[in-house]
Amino acid sequence: MNQISKWIIYTIVALFLLAVPFIMSEFFTTMMVRVLYFSLMAVAFAFLASQIGLVSLAIPAFLGLSGYTIAILETREIMFFPYSAMAAIVVVLFVSAVFGIFANRSKGIYFIMLTLILGQIIWAVARQWASVTNGVNGLIGISTPDAMQFNVFGANVGFYYVILFTFVLIVWAVLALTRSSFGMKLKGIRESESRMIMLGYRVSRLKWVAFVISSLVAGIAGVFFVYFVGVMHPSAIDLDSSAMVLIAGIFGGVYSIIGAVLGMSIVQTLEVVLNAYTQRYLIIIGIMFLLVVIYAPKGLMGLIYKNKYMKSLYDKWYKGRKDS
Amino acid sequence: MNKKFHYFLFTVPMVFVLAIATACAEDANDDDNNDGEAAEEEMSIGLVGPMTGGFADYGEKAHRGVELALDEVDNTIAGYEVNLVVEDSQADAEQLTTSLDSLHQRDEVDVIIGPSTGDEGEAAASWAQDHEDVLIMPGYSAAEDMTMRAASDNLIRAGWTGTQTIYHFGKFVHDELGHDRIAMVGQNYAYPWDQAAGFKRGFYENGGEEVHTIWHETDILDFSSIMNELQSISDDYDAVLLNSGGADTIAFWGAWEQYGMGEYYPQLLGGTNVADIPILEEVTDNFEGVYSSMHYSEDLDHEENMQFRENYADMHDEEADGIALQGYDTMRVIIDALETTGGDTSDVNALTDEIMAMEVDDSPRGSFYFDEYGQAVQDIYIKEVQMVDGELENQVIDTYEEVSQFGPYEGLEEEYMEQPNNSADFPADTAEEYFEELEEYFGQEYIDELEENDGWE
Repeated sequence: MNQISKWIIYTIVALFLLAVPFIMSEFFTTMMVRVLYFSLMAVAFAFLASQIGLVSLAIPAFLGLSGYTIAILETREIMFFPYSAMAAIVVVLFVSAVFGIFANRSKGIYFIMLTLILGQIIWAVARQWASVTNGVNGLIGISTPDAMQFNVFGANVGFYYVILFTFVLIVWAVLALTRSSFGMKLKGIRESESRMIMLGYRVSRLKWVAFVISSLVAGIAGVFFVYFVGVMHPSAIDLDSSAMVLIAGIFGGVYSIIGAVLGMSIVQTLEVVLNAYTQRYLIIIGIMFLLVVIYAPKGLMGLIYKNKYMKSLYDKWYKGRKDS
Repeated sequence: MNKKFHYFLFTVPMVFVLAIATACAEDANDDDNNDGEAAEEEMSIGLVGPMTGGFADYGEKAHRGVELALDEVDNTIAGYEVNLVVEDSQADAEQLTTSLDSLHQRDEVDVIIGPSTGDEGEAAASWAQDHEDVLIMPGYSAAEDMTMRAASDNLIRAGWTGTQTIYHFGKFVHDELGHDRIAMVGQNYAYPWDQAAGFKRGFYENGGEEVHTIWHETDILDFSSIMNELQSISDDYDAVLLNSGGADTIAFWGAWEQYGMGEYYPQLLGGTNVADIPILEEVTDNFEGVYSSMHYSEDLDHEENMQFRENYADMHDEEADGIALQGYDTMRVIIDALETTGGDTSDVNALTDEIMAMEVDDSPRGSFYFDEYGQAVQDIYIKEVQMVDGELENQVIDTYEEVSQFGPYEGLEEEYMEQPNNSADFPADTAEEYFEELEEYFGQEYIDELEENDGWE
């Protein structure tokens, strides 16, 4: 495929995404927003999973941290957007920096266990510390800031555009990161941690930075989550949510960031579409997941990358190689 | 050939995305067309609640109640055929918001019944404030704030609040059963907190001395340590109040019998959901004699209730209970209102006006009407579990008429809402501390009046 047709495809996709609020129904736009903030979580997950091979179950915990920070600050009228969002990001960075110190000493199953514990601690605090988090009642009444509510051609679609641009920017940045020298070092750790130590790289520091970056992306997802849903509730960060991110990641392909986004889109879309027809939709999603794991262990993206052109894109996006 | 296959693999996900996109777009178009052509025949009503998971009973039973009410009118309201759209909220606040958005935007529904659990209720109240063009009538959610601090005109509840059903039970336990000190075992979340709060208010203000609360996590199912604790303090307390529901209640009763707790505490009391029919079917016969209170009792012997229970059993092959009743009543209120307004669901203001002015006198639970916040004012029944023809059944032994969500605090609504939300430590565990709080929020005058009347009038 030549350069021109590639740009034509990019333009069509970009135009479609920009035009969504006008050519599609309001419902479709709402679902796009939902898919986008969940996909940010998937990106955070896939960045760690694909680059250093660490499976984190604490992704929703960081969404929860930033979401709860905003919800607490705004419902108590202490701070408002943009300061509340900044405070949320600072909290996320701080907690992930502290926790990263513990997490970067572990790998494999121990990393999964540590992040599981972190996720459960934050979930339990959200549930139990009722005087601050309002416990299982959740915090309600967080409204979307005016800065995210501007009109375009008379339609109130500001939120969609803000999250779309943030999303594209983050995905672009994360992809750029994976093919930078930093990304190469991370992949080195994934392949052989001991060899990287022997070569003189400060492995635990690299892992720490990657962990903080992943948490930051999840934290940004939390900002959009809380402003869009307007409710912060412990169920958003429970074990089910961690499992949902994990399932979406495996669905789309653990070794690909684009794959995680695709997986999350499919899982979320299926949930909403099937829910309208049957109350047993979770079974259908489960069976599909089973099929993917058996027949396409690298996920849907694994299937797609069998295509030569897509493979060259993969190399270019993740490994920095030019079209071969 | 091989290359073609690769293109095929590439096309599959693309087609998938396009298919989803067009499906959504077509749905929207279809609805637009319906407005023009077929609108005279069909009307959509949304139903949302937990249909899967541990709370599924609360959503599904409400659903069955709604189905019965619709069946009675032949699925037709004011000449329109009713299309009931059901969404699963998984007892999850975020999922609930998505479900509400789906119903509102995809199915263009203007009237929604649900949700059915407390935390979902809070989220629904928040959503209702942002969507004034949709009427929401909760299924079984009992969170106080939905019709108090977070009340909105378009959210009306034909159901109950966690405190409403139990204020007078506190009075009853002190005045009629003569208990002064109660040990309460409860699940540590919002609904039992509300129940504890309502009970304590009625209990202390009529002379009770102490309610010792023991909170535990939901679904612990192992009550050994709690039984030990209860045994060790049995000299200090007159009775135990079990403030929970579902599987925990059945497990609690198992441990209660195993540890021979009947010797330590002759009297067991229950929260509103404790003597529920599914639980009576599971527990042993010694459960006889448990007192509880609710806005409905299956043994009410007026015509409407008999009819309701019979029809429900015919349709669904199970006994009707409070949850089914609320689905049924809520749907009937909506049917009546829509019949009067000619089946126009889009004018939510006219609908809410109609419902708020309604006085329902033919409900299986008795009669009820709505207060200015949109919460039903209804009779509260004190029930005792008795053995009738070899089966455990609730028998009404006392009735408190026309109890509002503010219970005894009529005229003090503002002061009541000034207080913090009910929680594990609020209101306090002893009468002494409780009256200090009471003075802070309701003033000395209210306490003097209580002393003068020796409790509530």
